[in-house]
Amino acid sequence: MIDIIDTYWLYFLVGQYPDGPLGGLVLTILLGFAALMLALPLGIALGLARVSERRWLQWPVTALVYIVRGTPLLMVIFWAYFFLPSVTGHKTGQFATMLTALVIFNGMYIAEIVRAGIQGIPKGQMECARSLGLSYSKAMRYVVLPQAARNMLPSFVNQFVTTLKETSLGYIIGLAEVSFVANQINTLLLTRPVAVFSTLALAYFILCFGLSRVAYFLEVRRNRQAT
Amino acid sequence: MKSLLNVSHWAAQLCVALAGLISVQSAAADQLADIRQKGELVCGVLGTDEPMSFIDPKTRSLVGYDVDLCAAVAKKIGVTPKPKQLAVAARIPELQQGRVDILAATLTHTKEREAVVDFSLNVFVTGQKVMVRRDSGITKVAQLAGKKVVTVKGGTQEPNMRKAVPTVDVVTFETAPQAFVALQQRKAAGFVNDEVSLLDAFGKLGDAQKDYVVLPDSISVEAIALGLRKGEPALKTLVNDALRELEQSGQAQQLFFKWFGPTSRLKYRTRSFKIDSDRI
Amino acid sequence: MPHFDLAAVLTDEFRGWLLQGLLLSLELMATTWLLAVPLATFTALCRLSSLAPARWLGFVLVEGIRNIPLLVQLLFWYFAVPELLPESVRAWLYEHNAEFICAAGGLTLYTSAFMAEDIRSGIRAVPITQLEAARALGFSFLASMRRIVLPQAIRIIVPPLISQSLNLWKNTSVATVIGTAELMYQAQRVETASFRGVETFTLTTVAYLSVSLTITALAVWFQRRFPVRTA
Repeated sequence: MIDIIDTYWLYFLVGQYPDGPLGGLVLTILLGFAALMLALPLGIALGLARVSERRWLQWPVTALVYIVRGTPLLMVIFWAYFFLPSVTGHKTGQFATMLTALVIFNGMYIAEIVRAGIQGIPKGQMECARSLGLSYSKAMRYVVLPQAARNMLPSFVNQFVTTLKETSLGYIIGLAEVSFVANQINTLLLTRPVAVFSTLALAYFILCFGLSRVAYFLEVRRNRQAT
Repeated sequence: MKSLLNVSHWAAQLCVALAGLISVQSAAADQLADIRQKGELVCGVLGTDEPMSFIDPKTRSLVGYDVDLCAAVAKKIGVTPKPKQLAVAARIPELQQGRVDILAATLTHTKEREAVVDFSLNVFVTGQKVMVRRDSGITKVAQLAGKKVVTVKGGTQEPNMRKAVPTVDVVTFETAPQAFVALQQRKAAGFVNDEVSLLDAFGKLGDAQKDYVVLPDSISVEAIALGLRKGEPALKTLVNDALRELEQSGQAQQLFFKWFGPTSRLKYRTRSFKIDSDRI
Repeated sequence: MPHFDLAAVLTDEFRGWLLQGLLLSLELMATTWLLAVPLATFTALCRLSSLAPARWLGFVLVEGIRNIPLLVQLLFWYFAVPELLPESVRAWLYEHNAEFICAAGGLTLYTSAFMAEDIRSGIRAVPITQLEAARALGFSFLASMRRIVLPQAIRIIVPPLISQSLNLWKNTSVATVIGTAELMYQAQRVETASFRGVETFTLTTVAYLSVSLTITALAVWFQRRFPVRTA
């Protein structure tokens, strides 16, 4: 396994860059990070819509969330693949397709995290804020959301871990992220599948386990602060 | 008279612009002009099909017969070639949606595909064959009845195999090399692919070659051509001109021997076709 | 782009393929579920056990599996694991639909890791006094779990477990990369043969959604019918 890492570490890390598009582990991390950063505002907006009192806002968003969460991510990726050029008028590459699919998919999950976070704050907070004269949106922004945010932070980090794992599906549309690269290496070598896939698994494990430990410590700290 | 011509010229341009705005899918009437304006020709290639197109492990760049053809066409147009890797199943959708300008992706010219894409002159002619393990005792394709074969998703391999042997069980994978790994691991009795790709994989086996054999009967003849979007006569003419020039100057023959000749893994001694027709 | 024409993908041949795929997906989900729940319970109990090696085993199983993408695990199960098996087992595996077995194996491990955490949270939500009282009355650890704690934990466990079942249903789609002929695999096949991506994927999405929404409806019904009783 060491000799494989030794020979192919650069390909594994950055794919074809600079002789081609960026790939490998760096692409995986960048894609995951970009997807989460873009999904956050979407998720917050949708989450707020989900708890809103206005039926015309709540119902369509609820329906949308149920539909997207009921569809496999692979399906969402294929939809983005076929629909995106018609919708945007631009010819989109695999990276943009994958990013869009991840943002939409994770946006729905973040909407649920935000909804649970907001609903976890005692109703009294909102009532107090309103009775002190703050409008609904000001109350949300200055009183409820900041408190909810601390509760939601471990869930957000977990969602980031999930997003990183989801980038592996880019393999199916030919995006050169780390799983695709590992497969290329496997077909070059042919006789060392166990070593190649173990290396791939190890790379993901170090990345994701590290991040989930961060989430765990955030959660422990939150529980300590709550008591 | 001149002002009339000016007006009709202007009106024609307006119509073209409107058409481009309304129908986003079918790009503006002249893809060739688009390509020239962009300054690059985006070619869809497989990158997993040695030696048609594959990734050189040392330079980590895309190389191969298809890649060189793309470069030749780009040179004729006067732009830089930009190979882009695609999955086998994604070739036609990516062309249709305009994500690539041209396909140089071991695309077989079939009657069914003519309904959705246009083809250039045939750039390669090969057959599809089956590779089996020597110890399976299979010597004819018909003996694969009821057995399992593996191949790649989204190509002509699966339908051709089922036509040749109706009771065969076909399992497909995302890339051809991955299917080949499945054969080596004895997950299936046979591996179906274009003869060229099979011989290349065979060559890579090295010492293990004695354990495998490529069955002599072809299950189909594949005329491989470059794929073009429908309704682009200017581009098609130019691509075919470029290919004819390659053939007449002898460069096509050189290209063939560079990737498939005696110095390659395939060791073809002669070329059985010429780049001069698009008949199938 | 040609106009939307559903009839083009509803021919006998294509419809047959899609239906086959749907049935196999359901079969894959059912098989995995029946294997994953006992395994998850075992892992959860390991993590809660008083024996340190058992706790460690549970931790490794859960964290090891949860931090590696399903795609990678399936590839590993199909391309790497069989090479490590003895010759006779491997031959048997390949004779008997290895694609399905490896997919079921990989999915079972993956799903059980997530379910184990939900089961563990559910058990921990039952007040510790229940377990202490049971032990004081003379029940062994396992018997107290089985007769006293787990039945109370079930109400808490079922909603997240149904949520994991929904994830399982969606995850069956990833098996297409190891050649399992489930719904997504057949959809790709139909798309290649018909050149009609939008229609094919519309049908496939509807198929996935019908099962997903049924599972979600089940969750909502369960939470209404059996709400969690607070002590």
